[in-house]
Amino acid sequence: MSTEHSYISAVNESQNGDFMSNLRKKAFPATISVVAVSLLVASCSSSGKDSASSSSTGASTEASGWSQECSGKSLNAIAEATANSQIIEKLLPDFKAKTGIDVTLEQAPYDSLVQKAVLDFNGNKGTYDVLSIPYEYLGAFAEKNYLANIDDMVNTPPTGVGPDFSTADIIPSLWKLSSNWKDHWYGMPSNSAVMMMFYRKDLMENPEEQAAFKAKYGYDLGPAKTWQQYKDTAEFFTRPAGATLAGQKLTEPFYGVTLAGKRHIATVLEWMNYAWSDGGDLFNKEGYPALNSPANISALEYEKSLTPFAPPGFTSATWDETTAALQQGTAAEAITWGDTAGAMEDKAASKVVGKMGYASIPTAKEGEATQAHLGSWTWAVNNAGPNQNCTRLFMAWALSKPVQMDLAKGGGLPSLTSTFNDPELISSLPYWNQELVSLNEARPRPRIPQWSGISDIVSLELSRVLSGQASPQEALDEGQTKFEELMKGALPVTYQ
Amino acid sequence: MPATVSGGRKSETSGLAAGSQRRKGRWESAAFQGPSLLVLVLIVVFPLIYSATLSLQSYSPVLPDRTGQWIGLENFRRVLHDRDFFNVIIVTLVFVICAVTIETILGTVVGIILHRLVRLRRAVTSLLLLPMITTPLIVGLMFNFAFNAQFGYLTWVMSKIGLDPNGGVLNSGITALAALIFVDVWEWFPFIALMVVAGLSALPLSPFEAASIDGASTFQTYRYIMLPMLKPVLVVAILFRATEAVREFDKVFILTGGGPGSATTVNDLYQYRVSFLNWDLSYGAALGLVTFVVVLALCGVLYRVLTRNEAQL
Repeated sequence: MSTEHSYISAVNESQNGDFMSNLRKKAFPATISVVAVSLLVASCSSSGKDSASSSSTGASTEASGWSQECSGKSLNAIAEATANSQIIEKLLPDFKAKTGIDVTLEQAPYDSLVQKAVLDFNGNKGTYDVLSIPYEYLGAFAEKNYLANIDDMVNTPPTGVGPDFSTADIIPSLWKLSSNWKDHWYGMPSNSAVMMMFYRKDLMENPEEQAAFKAKYGYDLGPAKTWQQYKDTAEFFTRPAGATLAGQKLTEPFYGVTLAGKRHIATVLEWMNYAWSDGGDLFNKEGYPALNSPANISALEYEKSLTPFAPPGFTSATWDETTAALQQGTAAEAITWGDTAGAMEDKAASKVVGKMGYASIPTAKEGEATQAHLGSWTWAVNNAGPNQNCTRLFMAWALSKPVQMDLAKGGGLPSLTSTFNDPELISSLPYWNQELVSLNEARPRPRIPQWSGISDIVSLELSRVLSGQASPQEALDEGQTKFEELMKGALPVTYQ
Repeated sequence: MPATVSGGRKSETSGLAAGSQRRKGRWESAAFQGPSLLVLVLIVVFPLIYSATLSLQSYSPVLPDRTGQWIGLENFRRVLHDRDFFNVIIVTLVFVICAVTIETILGTVVGIILHRLVRLRRAVTSLLLLPMITTPLIVGLMFNFAFNAQFGYLTWVMSKIGLDPNGGVLNSGITALAALIFVDVWEWFPFIALMVVAGLSALPLSPFEAASIDGASTFQTYRYIMLPMLKPVLVVAILFRATEAVREFDKVFILTGGGPGSATTVNDLYQYRVSFLNWDLSYGAALGLVTFVVVLALCGVLYRVLTRNEAQL
């Protein structure tokens, strides 16, 4: 971007030089002031925004078994702007009290975080000591040697950490998927999100709606178990303004389903749930691209068939709009991320507190094993960072029981078995049980270095289909050609 | 631009200067121009050479097998066969031509009206500055709300006047592009209007007086006296806007992300995707260079077309 900006401003200057001599006598002062204002505006508008906050607490205390070897040092960390990161940031004074280490935690949106991480790695700068990276980049970063190997910390009990940290408590499958690449360990889970089905429990339990549904579809209304039921429910609850919903007259239209359809990774990840339960996938069993497989095409046709029941504007919607539509009570169900369940139960932001139900992703046929898309993040140590030992202390603290408990209570998601099994949390959070159930049904996306390219190709083709510019067959055929081109030289993919 | 100003002044005084003064003047101009030239080298020449080098390599900070091998003109061959890039060029051209044309016409009309205002001119000028001084990102977010298919006030206005944007304007290719052009016009026509006001206030009065004595109508005065005299200002304004519109990014990124499909993927957004989402930095550099050459050529053509009749003035 910046290089191109400078080319074009150079063009501007060379072209305008001649005019300036013409203009000078006529309108120079006025013109130049207009130009100056606009340049000033342009430069102001592109100035940076990120200001990270840091914690400062009183003197460090020799307490609870945490090593003091790094006392007085400071670490830079970066993580995606999520509930987990916000809670961790608030808890940083506790880390300082235990170890004497100051941590500056920067929070950034997904794309921006990946870009900052790659540019930091690429320049070998070591600006960030510890980074919470999305697991789809694990292969890329590990193969490029950007991340420090922490095998020793995993294989032998680490010293200098408090008794409230135990590697045995970290959910094994989640840890392996998020942090292990080709039998080496590169981090510890920082955040996880698994897709599940959110549905309006209050509407499904309404006797009038139940009777009307049974009369129309011939079976009982309830949280969908199959994709056919999911679609029936979506169709059933789609009502115009003025119609009645659960005994109330609607002032605004109500929609049966909400989905992500923007040219964005959110759309790809949601679609993969539909594709998987149809037997589809990005690669075939031999490890070659199979984007236009019959199963993938029929899954996309299915998703397209849901769109008449979705709010207008779904083709510019991502997970954010899905969350908003559910929170505002304008849609009856969605396949979305478990880490937004906290937002549904947040009294300050949600109109559906206590009305939402959480269930596993539907399947093609009733009784089949459900497969939920897993999103996972890992705290990883920058290979170029100067304070790697201190960074390990931070990871251990972030995975320690009290911190993980605070994540759970604050609307975030922990990574410890004990926190998910906590009876108090199970009884107080309506979504808690389902989170662990879904985590156990979770399936990862490919973690290969080409992932970002794949996601870009697929998001384009899905967006074309959902906005009606191409048929599923046409779009996925075209995507397959680009996919094969992208993977040239890296096939077959035997490890993902 | 400061360099041009000092250059002009030098030529005005050079006739009077003696030899020693001239030498001193040369030192002076070197001392004054040196820093800006150095900055220019750092921000223009260095990145240009770096990009050119990168475009001949295969490098990605993410893909393990791309470590910067020399691959000659392979990236440029890819540009020629890239159907997405071809589509991007069409979208960008439509965007630039439509947006800049509408901005120029609207801006000129508003500028003339503004020039005729006496009491309100200052207040209206300040108001017109508002869209320009708003950060492009914020402009994008503002219109994202306005165009929201369910709650957006512009969606509501459109449905009231019978333009029912079925599913929201951002959700079909043509209307999404039209919406982006609308937003760009909203943001930048004041720039042209202000340039026109500035140009008009600097025009000499005598040609207008002569025209009125000769009995020219208002339209004739505007068409045959004012517009030709305003032309140099308009040429600069159009060039500024055109080169700016070619590198449109923020609003598209926020409003449509280049979609639906690739209906609104403008050049900068495409290159952003190639370089910073797919991490294909070498191919991104090749695309950047091609764009640079194309824009340079277009500027040359535009400059010629717009100044073709200069001699007749």
